[in-house]
Amino acid sequence: MNTQYKKGVLELCVMSILKRRDCYGYEISEYLSKYIDIADGTVYPILRKLKSDGLVTTYLSEDSGGPPRKYYSLTALGLKTYEADKKEYLSFAKTVETLLEDEDHDEK
Amino acid sequence: MTKNEFMLQLKNELKKNNITDLDDILSEYEQHFAFKLADGFSEEEIAAKLGDPAELASQFIPNVQEKKFGGKKVVTVIGMIFADIFVGAFFLMLFIFSVVLGIVTVAAAVIGLCLLVGFNFNNLIPGMPYLCAFIFAVSFFAFAMLSIAACLYFVVFTRQLIRSYKRFHTNVIAGSSGKATLPSLPAYPQLSHKFKRRLRILALSSLTLLAVSLVSGYIISAILAGNLEFWHVWRWFDK
Repeated sequence: MNTQYKKGVLELCVMSILKRRDCYGYEISEYLSKYIDIADGTVYPILRKLKSDGLVTTYLSEDSGGPPRKYYSLTALGLKTYEADKKEYLSFAKTVETLLEDEDHDEK
Repeated sequence: MTKNEFMLQLKNELKKNNITDLDDILSEYEQHFAFKLADGFSEEEIAAKLGDPAELASQFIPNVQEKKFGGKKVVTVIGMIFADIFVGAFFLMLFIFSVVLGIVTVAAAVIGLCLLVGFNFNNLIPGMPYLCAFIFAVSFFAFAMLSIAACLYFVVFTRQLIRSYKRFHTNVIAGSSGKATLPSLPAYPQLSHKFKRRLRILALSSLTLLAVSLVSGYIISAILAGNLEFWHVWRWFDK
């Protein structure tokens, strides 16, 4: 799949995970690779971009007893962007689906 | 690929792409390895699943073609032009001040020299015994030295301020178009300890010499003229 295109969709997926709860990088990477076939390392550039765009923030937490982990958390701007992008994506996906299915009907 | 090989390649590729915050990025991948190793995967497996380091590094390059920079850059450039006009005028003033300091230095040295050799062009220097003229010549030389120290420091200071501002200027423009910025420069000159020490010695010794020669010049003049207001005795201000 086109990486640039995939990246935009993956951003949306990462934000949807973070909307549920704050996670550290590895958790997000594991969760995504369960559903989507991507290289494990791609999540980190996405997290970094979201951070530089101000959509997520990070904080350190030592609750697990081990070395401090960097948690990612969705900002207010991130939440707003997520809701808008999600709506846009779903309607776009629906249109694409209808289009492709119409083509299938025509062939028959 | 082992963990070390992967990390090294990633680091080199990130550097090649001028990505900042290397440590921050690398620590995420270190943690990824740590988690996966704890789950019983081998270093080779983990590195293979992470992906190609060059490909990953390229994904860290900020997307510069994004439209939002367009409008912002124009505003920034216009703002910087206005800032440049004011800051430029300020720098011109600083420059003129160092020129004035230079002229004062030369003038003080010339007067000192005239007093020393007894050269009195157009009777500009009022009359006085040679001993007094000698002491006052020393004062003028001391003042010239002090003024050299001030001039020297001021020139270095102004130069550093201008360089610091130039760096700030390029960074602001680069930042507004999403390009990588350079580290900012300090506004104060970063002088070597040796230079600073010499400048301090020059300033302090010339200041001391100036004070001592002025006071002793006054006392000796007063004694020789037999009057505290010796300038009246020597008719300095009489037409």
